[in-house]
Amino acid sequence: MVAENVSLLAVFPDLEPAADAIDKLRGMGLSDEQMNIISGVPVTEAMLGRPNQWTNVPRLALGGAIGGFLIGIFLILTPLIYFVPVGGQPVIPGPPSVVVLFEMTMLGMLISTFVGVFLDSGFPSYRPMEYVPEISDGKFAVFFYCPEEAQDKFTKAMTALGAEKVEVAEAKQL
Amino acid sequence: MTATAQHMDHSHNETMSHEEHLREQHLMLDPKPRGEMNAMAMEAMHHTTWKFWVAVIILGAIVLVGLFWSWGYMIVEGLGVAGVNRPVYWGMFLVNTVFWIGISHAGTFISAILRVFKAEFRRPFTRAAELMTTFGLIQAGFSIFMHMGRVWLSYWMVPYPSQRQLWPNFHSPLMWDLLAITTYLLASTMYLFLPLIPDLAMARDRSTGWRKNVYKVLALGFRGTEGEWTHLRNAMNIFAFAIIPVMFSVHTIVSWDFAAATRPGWNSTIFGPYFVVGALHSGMGAVIMVLAIVRATMKNMKYFIRPEHFDAIGKLMLIISMTWAYFFFNDYMVQWYGGDKWTHELLHFHEAGPLGWMWFAMLIVNVAVPWAVLWNKKWRSNPWVVFVVGLLINFGMYLERYIIVPISLTINRQPFTWNMYKPGIEIPLSIGTLAFFILLYMIASKLIPLIPVWEVEEGQMAHKISKFGRETVVTVSELE
Repeated sequence: MVAENVSLLAVFPDLEPAADAIDKLRGMGLSDEQMNIISGVPVTEAMLGRPNQWTNVPRLALGGAIGGFLIGIFLILTPLIYFVPVGGQPVIPGPPSVVVLFEMTMLGMLISTFVGVFLDSGFPSYRPMEYVPEISDGKFAVFFYCPEEAQDKFTKAMTALGAEKVEVAEAKQL
Repeated sequence: MTATAQHMDHSHNETMSHEEHLREQHLMLDPKPRGEMNAMAMEAMHHTTWKFWVAVIILGAIVLVGLFWSWGYMIVEGLGVAGVNRPVYWGMFLVNTVFWIGISHAGTFISAILRVFKAEFRRPFTRAAELMTTFGLIQAGFSIFMHMGRVWLSYWMVPYPSQRQLWPNFHSPLMWDLLAITTYLLASTMYLFLPLIPDLAMARDRSTGWRKNVYKVLALGFRGTEGEWTHLRNAMNIFAFAIIPVMFSVHTIVSWDFAAATRPGWNSTIFGPYFVVGALHSGMGAVIMVLAIVRATMKNMKYFIRPEHFDAIGKLMLIISMTWAYFFFNDYMVQWYGGDKWTHELLHFHEAGPLGWMWFAMLIVNVAVPWAVLWNKKWRSNPWVVFVVGLLINFGMYLERYIIVPISLTINRQPFTWNMYKPGIEIPLSIGTLAFFILLYMIASKLIPLIPVWEVEEGQMAHKISKFGRETVVTVSELE
């Protein structure tokens, strides 16, 4: 018989007990993948003693910059098709091409950075999710999965560390 | 023994009062529970007096008549109803374009440059400044379209393979304008939205009815997981660094609209940085005006926006004023020394022509007034004093653009064409864009949290009062 897992949400008033809770959960046999911190203010992995979060945003930004640069090259080469002679200047002029390339590269990079946040975070997402509104009021919630039969043990451990409430995390409409 | 105890007691009391003084002065040292700060930010949005609605109705009427009706009339009648004519083909529409792009620089300067340099005082008013960028650029875009006259043909600037084989000419500085302003508008709107997401989620959690539905959609399902914060912070760092060269490029390219022409007074290699500094000068002046008004009229804002913020922006304004004076004199000196007959004619016209008062007024309000007032900490910490300085600087910077565009175009190498520019429909249209900017800002202040509460809390977490020997000092930890 396979043990069922249950997801719990422990709400802490401060960062310190939340970081202690992470250590405690690890000590109780949970892996880092089985827990997450939800907070209304950004906290770094180092503060929580958590492994570094992977993000694709910088890579997507680089990809967008390259894409924008290529579009810029396309634009500056178009006078070869639509010939526009201007007062003694070459058909593909150097300095104005730099302007076009710069603007298109930056536009590509910034749009892809913006889109990258959406892709990496799974935005927009309007399905029910595990959350309590107290989080945006400054509480720190530790969300974790534990075996169903050990739910009481985990709840007591979190309460002992100062959790204001520990509840079964139900996915609710935000 | 008693004397020693009394001395220690006195010293302890002094330390306590110094600490209290520091907390009173600095928002970062005066934390409130996050829930309370959220409630204050939400209350500022929801609390609306009848004066607000009267202002909205008046501004709305000005926008309808001054902007949309006048513009419609100009579209129907043609550009003849405007004052532009030989030799001044560029009039107030381009003055307004340069002015509004200048205003838009403040948001990026405050939000990006101060973020990159970790200037902590920026935290409560980054959004107030970013909103100015987006709304200012909208007015700049309107002004360019007005200048085009046949606005319905603006799609000709978009590169697409049309049947007539019309293709944008990338040799033209006006095409660079299109690319730069479009890039800046999109970038600044995205940069406004990203740090707004957590505050929209906060507003979602505290709202009911239609507002909840709106915030729910806009918050995109943000909860504040480690991953979401990591992606957001990475993106904001990239934006903060990348949007700075974009900001510089925009006003530099705007300056090239003028400097790339071989006209007296315009053909200057220093126009790029001169325009950028000018933009920051007017932008910072506008930010300080907005902050003074927001602080005075919106509920709870006196907690978030304090004299320390006016003091800090006032210092920046003073430095920018000095830099502007340096660039102005540098440009003037070289033009004056050059000895070109028509340039001399133009410089003389600037100072002694029928609108010479503008030239002197520009120097007084852009240089003399800020230097006379902003050196004094007490004065620059007073919201209404710096409001007046900001207003005067914006007036002066508008005059500067007016001198550069229509007044400079009056004098050219063909004296028989010299003719003064008299604005026509440009005046209601200019008032209309100003009213539209204020109206958009007022409406936005009631729809989105003007204070980035999570950024304020993050800053408050990083600050504390420490003691070094007998000295009580403020220390900041680098949490990022």
